[in-house]
Amino acid sequence: MEIEEVFSSKPRMKILRLVARLGALNVSDIARRISLNYSTTNQHLKLLEAEGILQQRVYGRVRMYRFNDRSPKAIAVQNLIETWEQNK
Amino acid sequence: MVPHQSVFKDESKLDINYVPRRLPHREKEHRLMMEFFNFLLKFPERMTQRVIITGEVGTGKTALAQRFGADITLEANKRGVKFRYVHVNCRECRGKLFLILQHAVSVFRPNFPKRGYSAEEALETLMQSLDEEDAHMVLALDEFDTLIEQEGSEAVYKLTRLQEMRPGKPQRISLVSIIRDLKSTEKLDASARSTLQRNVIRLYKYSSDQLTDILNERVAMAFERSTVPEDVVDLVAELAVSESGNARFAIELLWRAGKYADAEDLGSVAPECVRKAVSSIIPTIRRSELSSLGFHEKLFLLGAARVFKGNQRTYASLSEIEEGYAVVCEEFDEQPHSHTQLWKYVQLFSALGILKAEVAIAGTRGRSTRVSLPSVPAYELEKELSAALEKRWE
Repeated sequence: MEIEEVFSSKPRMKILRLVARLGALNVSDIARRISLNYSTTNQHLKLLEAEGILQQRVYGRVRMYRFNDRSPKAIAVQNLIETWEQNK
Repeated sequence: MVPHQSVFKDESKLDINYVPRRLPHREKEHRLMMEFFNFLLKFPERMTQRVIITGEVGTGKTALAQRFGADITLEANKRGVKFRYVHVNCRECRGKLFLILQHAVSVFRPNFPKRGYSAEEALETLMQSLDEEDAHMVLALDEFDTLIEQEGSEAVYKLTRLQEMRPGKPQRISLVSIIRDLKSTEKLDASARSTLQRNVIRLYKYSSDQLTDILNERVAMAFERSTVPEDVVDLVAELAVSESGNARFAIELLWRAGKYADAEDLGSVAPECVRKAVSSIIPTIRRSELSSLGFHEKLFLLGAARVFKGNQRTYASLSEIEEGYAVVCEEFDEQPHSHTQLWKYVQLFSALGILKAEVAIAGTRGRSTRVSLPSVPAYELEKELSAALEKRWE
């Protein structure tokens, strides 16, 4: 997927900012915090995972998403968000 | 108005949650704890440890566990071992294994959901989180008896037999169970009990001297210089001994006494502040007790109260109190009773816990009796007695 497609979605940007701020979160929690339904949130998360920006960890019935520590893309996105937040 | 000078330098050192760097009179037990976990520091994946700390209220169980937790974490970090000490109060978790484990999980996964899974799943999550981070933890379960009462052997079994469910994998969780009375573990079945009771550290009640040492350390940390006289520390220690050697009680009493000293802008902690503090914690004297006393018993106690109120000392000699009583008798136009009768009064009030009498050997000739008013504020006692005696004259 092209970069403009990944970052053109407001919910995806909200998810990335949220995970950058709070660390690992489960799907329901992310959906609640960005005021989106579970299914749509799940689709956005799957896309971000497929792009290698987020990674999923499964603990029994709970799925938690966080930045993929081994992905250069994830590191770049985290740096971008951090710089952006600091220079608002 | 000139701002008053507080007796406190740093009140936080008297806080119930403050754990000092050194625990006086618990050094041996602390060394033993470190020794128990020594192997774990060298080969963290090969074994875990289980320890029970037991002892009465205020014997330093929680403080010992927390001091150990901080020290072992520091030691592990020095050796490059990822180590976490997690202290959970089972009572605060209503004795539920699920809530205890959820608390432990939240240390590693702060945003982990609060519901929607079982205690077993919480335990799996905890193990998985530890595996992911290649970390090890000591889970300290304070007020462990609450867990036993609520969930019985099953929960203890799950915690202690963790490793058997994952053979060949690194060991991760050690347990420190803190319990007031080992009798509570008798409710567990034999197998749960046997896996738990490998190492027991028993903490005995502090003696008066030991409490004095503890208090002196806290005084140095929490109070300004020369604001807490030696006899005040002794008085607090004595009172704590009568409360089963409870150090927590002693420290709280010291803090409250300091508060009373500040409220009255005394500049130092007087014995009367301790008496007020203790009566605010335990209502030692009841009006009904006073009204049931005989007339001369009331006069005698009023004399004693006035002596303590007037001299601001912790102790008074029996003869001083006798003099105080004689003055009161004059005031009420009464003939004072004899010394022998007064000695009986002292014994009566000692039995009631109002006065405390100690026989002190004074030099080579004879003995003298040292009397203290340990737990009732002298001014309050005087007020109550005056009111009771006035009624009689109305």
